[in-house]
Amino acid sequence: MNEIDLDAGHLPPRSRGVIGLLEENCTVCMLCARECPDWCIYIESHKQTVPAPDSGRPRVRNVLDRFAIDFSLCMYCGICIEVCPYDALFWSPEFGYPETGIAGLTHERDRLRDWMQTVPPPPAHDPGAPPPREAQAAGPGADPAGQAG
Amino acid sequence: MTGGQLLAEAARHLPAARCAAEEGTVTMDVPREDWLAALAFARDTAGCDFFDWLTAVDEQDKGLAVVVHLYSIEDRQHLLVRTLIPPEDPALPTATPLFRGAAWAERETHEMFGVVFDGHPDLAPLLLPEGFEGHPLRKDFPLAARAAQDWPGAREPGERATSARSRRRLVPPGVPEGWPPA
Amino acid sequence: MVAVDLPLPGRQGETEVAAVPVWVRVFDAGLACCAVEVSAALRRCASQLPGDAAVNVLVVAGTVTDKLAPLVLAAYRDLPGPRRVLSFGACSNSGGPYWDSYCVTKGADQLIPVDVYVPGCPPRPEALVHGLRLLLSAAGDRP
Repeated sequence: MNEIDLDAGHLPPRSRGVIGLLEENCTVCMLCARECPDWCIYIESHKQTVPAPDSGRPRVRNVLDRFAIDFSLCMYCGICIEVCPYDALFWSPEFGYPETGIAGLTHERDRLRDWMQTVPPPPAHDPGAPPPREAQAAGPGADPAGQAG
Repeated sequence: MTGGQLLAEAARHLPAARCAAEEGTVTMDVPREDWLAALAFARDTAGCDFFDWLTAVDEQDKGLAVVVHLYSIEDRQHLLVRTLIPPEDPALPTATPLFRGAAWAERETHEMFGVVFDGHPDLAPLLLPEGFEGHPLRKDFPLAARAAQDWPGAREPGERATSARSRRRLVPPGVPEGWPPA
Repeated sequence: MVAVDLPLPGRQGETEVAAVPVWVRVFDAGLACCAVEVSAALRRCASQLPGDAAVNVLVVAGTVTDKLAPLVLAAYRDLPGPRRVLSFGACSNSGGPYWDSYCVTKGADQLIPVDVYVPGCPPRPEALVHGLRLLLSAAGDRP
């Protein structure tokens, strides 16, 4: 039994262990909650009017009150991560989170943010592949590997 | 027997059958009274002696379509035999005298769609628990769990949890409009 | 159902216990796909117990259909004490992807008391070891 590796560090990229939420990217579009086949994403929000800085028209934005994923129902299909238009959800390979009570398997915002620390960096593109779109959008002087400076 | 030969033979033996052939599969639509004759033709004349599966499709207004997939191992020829039966009288002769393997397939089709196979040795339910009411795979059998549970995606972005149900709510996929009845 | 004896490294925590292996007898109720992962975990375990098992664990792995529910109940009733139940995978936790089906029991805890829930669809074999460790650390709380 001692040779069984109980850590997630050795797992291949894009392994599906748990889902992390980057709240700053979430605009509460509700697409993940709607597309989830298990109905296991619970989102609550309200609208907030933000005054514009330069006497412009005030904007209305959505404020997230609750974002929870019920991992007792989740089937780890990844539809929520694929459908999110703003890259707010990420896969993490961590798999060791059993609970003694089923309510503990519903992870709320703070726990989903903690999972973001375990999200590995994206794997490098194959040699000869076109550069990633983020680098192309950044303009001709940008360094896609981020090695300069 | 190739697909073309099968079509020719079917036209001779079963004049009421409508056949279509595409890419190694022949589909034969027969009226209900020719059901056993079609299966016997498939097994004895066309050489499709391997029984793969039997099931039904709820075609709603047109009725219930019962489909059998047979295969000829020697000729590598697939054959789908299909018939349409009315939902108010869903009876069909059993295929078990010709294919003994159809026994359990017919039990499942009976409990899921309500098709009665005349002459079946034991049409008891196969997969559903005792006391289950209704035929789940018919189109008019709603998924009660989806209608009873609150859909997390029903709220609009920015809508408060406590807002009254004044506007028309989004219906989750799989629940018919207006279900459950108020 | 397979009875396999699983030695675990000694418990670690606030109060360090001597590194004595804790023996657990696992009864795998492998009902569906999760059974494959449990088998993968149990393959590497001993099949002979050198000492007494600390606890008998019923691992419910897979979808519990309404037709099979009485058998899961009977398996729990026939398990001699001290006994625990570990629910492995989404289907036995809560019905999982089949929660809306017409013939699925929404979780093994609708039938029997569950001590540990291991999430996953299916969970990795290593997740079973995590779950068994949690079970042993919580086992002292109940007779």
